[in-house]
Amino acid sequence: MSTTRLQEVQICFGSGKQTDIATANLVAAMWRLKKLNAQLANPKLNTENDAEEYGKGHEFATTTFKTSWDTGGTLEKYLSAEMAAWAMCFGLGKVVKSGTTPNWVYTCTPLIPANGDATELPYFSFVEQIRPGASSVIDRLLTGCAVEGWTISIGSGPGRANSKISVEFQGCGKLTEPSAITMPAATVEKLLPSASLTLTINGVDYVTNKNIVSLETSWKNNIRMDAGFYPGSGFQTSGDATTGAIRGRLEFGNRAGALKFVARFDHSSTELTLLKAQTTGTAVIHLQFDTNNSLDITWQKVAFATAEVGETDQIVTVAVEATPIYDATNGIITAVAKCNVDAICQ
Amino acid sequence: MSKVWLMPPWGLGEPMEVDATPEILTPRLVAGWSQCEPPANTQEVTTHVND
Repeated sequence: MSTTRLQEVQICFGSGKQTDIATANLVAAMWRLKKLNAQLANPKLNTENDAEEYGKGHEFATTTFKTSWDTGGTLEKYLSAEMAAWAMCFGLGKVVKSGTTPNWVYTCTPLIPANGDATELPYFSFVEQIRPGASSVIDRLLTGCAVEGWTISIGSGPGRANSKISVEFQGCGKLTEPSAITMPAATVEKLLPSASLTLTINGVDYVTNKNIVSLETSWKNNIRMDAGFYPGSGFQTSGDATTGAIRGRLEFGNRAGALKFVARFDHSSTELTLLKAQTTGTAVIHLQFDTNNSLDITWQKVAFATAEVGETDQIVTVAVEATPIYDATNGIITAVAKCNVDAICQ
Repeated sequence: MSKVWLMPPWGLGEPMEVDATPEILTPRLVAGWSQCEPPANTQEVTTHVND
């Protein structure tokens, strides 16, 4: 009997954005990347039944109904310039593309509906395949996906695992099996290693003083999943009410950014002073492969929420959680991602 | 210096060409400006002295 190893799974997804939530990316606007996590983007069919209805003569279900579909998943990857650009563009939502090949520059900020921006994030399609074709194990296309959030984790050590990104995404529920997508050639990624980090938070250069131990920063869109179902939001098979409802929109909810880090702590450390004074300043995170492939994340204003002195490998350290604050001029976060892939989120 | 075109918030008003630096772009994006195609009338005008 044949077995299927999970390493056979291949994924590709939209590097460009869909024209609308219901129209899948063409393969020309998709790229194939590797990932670290085993989790598959299993679609979930929600059902209900008639057990509680009167007129059957008993309390048992006699019929089931397809109610709705949930799709989504998580991508865990070593942090690369390409994935960073994609996560910033689709995760924050507002993108300005500049530059020329091989140095495309994506300047990304969150959408601000009060100033005329959309409440829906850009959509992409996600394809997952194991042995597509006549003996397919898995071959599906999820249309209308949006980034729920991303987390970048930087640690100490020489390996690739010390610079990772995790991206969670949600789908509108639209599912196509088989996908009818021919997997594109794999995209070669340029990693942004931990050793390339430069970091200044609240006026302190943590790399020059050799004190940074680890760092985690994240963004979450808190997509209003229930609000995606509305009168007329549509069905899995267009016009067929027996196939289960899908979402017609994925709007972000109350978004939240986060920044926390661990640094060595000594007599000159300022974290506790900055915490007590609630001093505010920028936090600027820079990682790069080379001058054409990099990521800059600027939290426009942060204040320390907690600073706890502890230890890491017998060294006294301070663990700090910072609260990103909205700046009236520059907003909350700006991400500038450079890579040599054109048309990301375009 | 790379430049980009931005259109004003709510699409009201004339597009503007700006330097594509984070310092220039960030406050405008936050204020509702968004990237757009260059206006159709931005082609270079050449004056021929013999005309």
